[in-house]
Amino acid sequence: MRALLPILALAVAPGAAQAATPLALQSDVFVERTEVADGRTRTTLTAPDTVTPGDRLVFVLHYRNTGSSAASGLVVTNPMHPSVAYQDADGAQVSVDGGKSWGTLAAARVRTARGDLRPARPDDVTHIRWKLAGTLPAGASGNLRFRGTVR
Amino acid sequence: MTRFSARFAMANGVQVRTAMALILAAGSMWSTSAYAAGTNAGTTISNTATASYTDLAGAPQTVDSNTVDIKVDELINAVVDATDPGDVVTMPGTTGQVLTYTITNTGNGNETFSLTANSSVGGDNYDPTGTQIYIDNPTSGTPGVYDPGVDILYTPGTNDPTLAPDASATIFVVTNTPSGVTDGDKGIVQLNIASTTGTGTPGTSFAGQGDGGTDAVIGTTGGDAQDSGTFIVQNASLAFAKSASVLDPFGGSETVPGAIITYSLVATISGTGTLTGVTLGDSIPANTTYQTGSLTLQSAGLTDAADADAGTFSGSAISVNLGDVAGGNTRTVTFKVRVN
Repeated sequence: MRALLPILALAVAPGAAQAATPLALQSDVFVERTEVADGRTRTTLTAPDTVTPGDRLVFVLHYRNTGSSAASGLVVTNPMHPSVAYQDADGAQVSVDGGKSWGTLAAARVRTARGDLRPARPDDVTHIRWKLAGTLPAGASGNLRFRGTVR
Repeated sequence: MTRFSARFAMANGVQVRTAMALILAAGSMWSTSAYAAGTNAGTTISNTATASYTDLAGAPQTVDSNTVDIKVDELINAVVDATDPGDVVTMPGTTGQVLTYTITNTGNGNETFSLTANSSVGGDNYDPTGTQIYIDNPTSGTPGVYDPGVDILYTPGTNDPTLAPDASATIFVVTNTPSGVTDGDKGIVQLNIASTTGTGTPGTSFAGQGDGGTDAVIGTTGGDAQDSGTFIVQNASLAFAKSASVLDPFGGSETVPGAIITYSLVATISGTGTLTGVTLGDSIPANTTYQTGSLTLQSAGLTDAADADAGTFSGSAISVNLGDVAGGNTRTVTFKVRVN
């Protein structure tokens, strides 16, 4: 058995290298509801089981490098569900063509049924992504947020 | 009820599952457009993010997040519009007078509505009677126009119309106009619709009563809606005056043999309506002789023969056919006789 151990260690080496930089990505969705009580407006975020059209959703993506070495070139991508109209996000690139091309919403154009181009609206967004500069050291984490409305 | 389910798969693991009920068009014309009323009830909104990065060894890695599923509840909303372009003209004592409404399911689920017509809402001069509600026949007759005997009599609880999200139906309220109403009177009929799931303050929830087993939530309209249509009575009346002037052979005005009497028949039509088939007639008085060719209408001469013009002398009486005369007009007929 002793003689086998080094071989076993070799065999698991590629897997161990892969596991050296695991990244955890957690998605949470909250609904933002505004209530007026006693003349004061209160905005609450709750994690809903159900929503109705018009509800405002806040999507929070939490990433964490749970490994022991740095990760680089981190890109987090989130497709918009067809029933969610994108509103805004901090520092994200958007795509209005299913993730083929990326940029700012202001620069995005959408082809109309007549064939000409018009400036994209927030609800044209099909995907959003964040490209994080530099490396993500072991143990580092962060949150990304965007908002959308239930169509 | 026929049901089908649709399944759409998208990139990055997002899926939409919807269960839609196909509504049999028991009521009227349906039209739909996607998403105007919002995401269909029962839809599951799933969210999954993906991270890609390069690990220490330079190998590209991809990791998916957990998937969050949120179900879309049914929101109950509805709108009624009275669609006649203005007040609908009616006349005293008429039956089968029609007001037209459009009802629209502005919610995101299939919803059934009960209908009531209220003709005693106030703010008007009379209450239309014999109120009945008809649903536009979707397969026969002219769409959007009341077709007697073709459109479907509404019976509460029996054929309550069910509308898909965004679908509309045309509803007719058919009434009678009482005989006692007068020109210019208005009669208002309000059409109310209410979701058979329930009504209440916005946000009220009915557990499990929505499409696909979702909760049904009362939307901003409260689950019911109403709008009013208005009849206006147009009627016309005729006032008749007859006068005579005498010219005797001596230049005076004595009624002596040989004197000529000019009769004026003045019909004054008042009101906002139109009188149809108006005829002015008078018999030639005894001991006088009609003066051939003396008949006039509005100072224009008429022939005595029964021919293309409006006037006729029958041997014992004159008659002028005025046809249809709208309120606000006066018609003057004159003729002359000589005293025997």
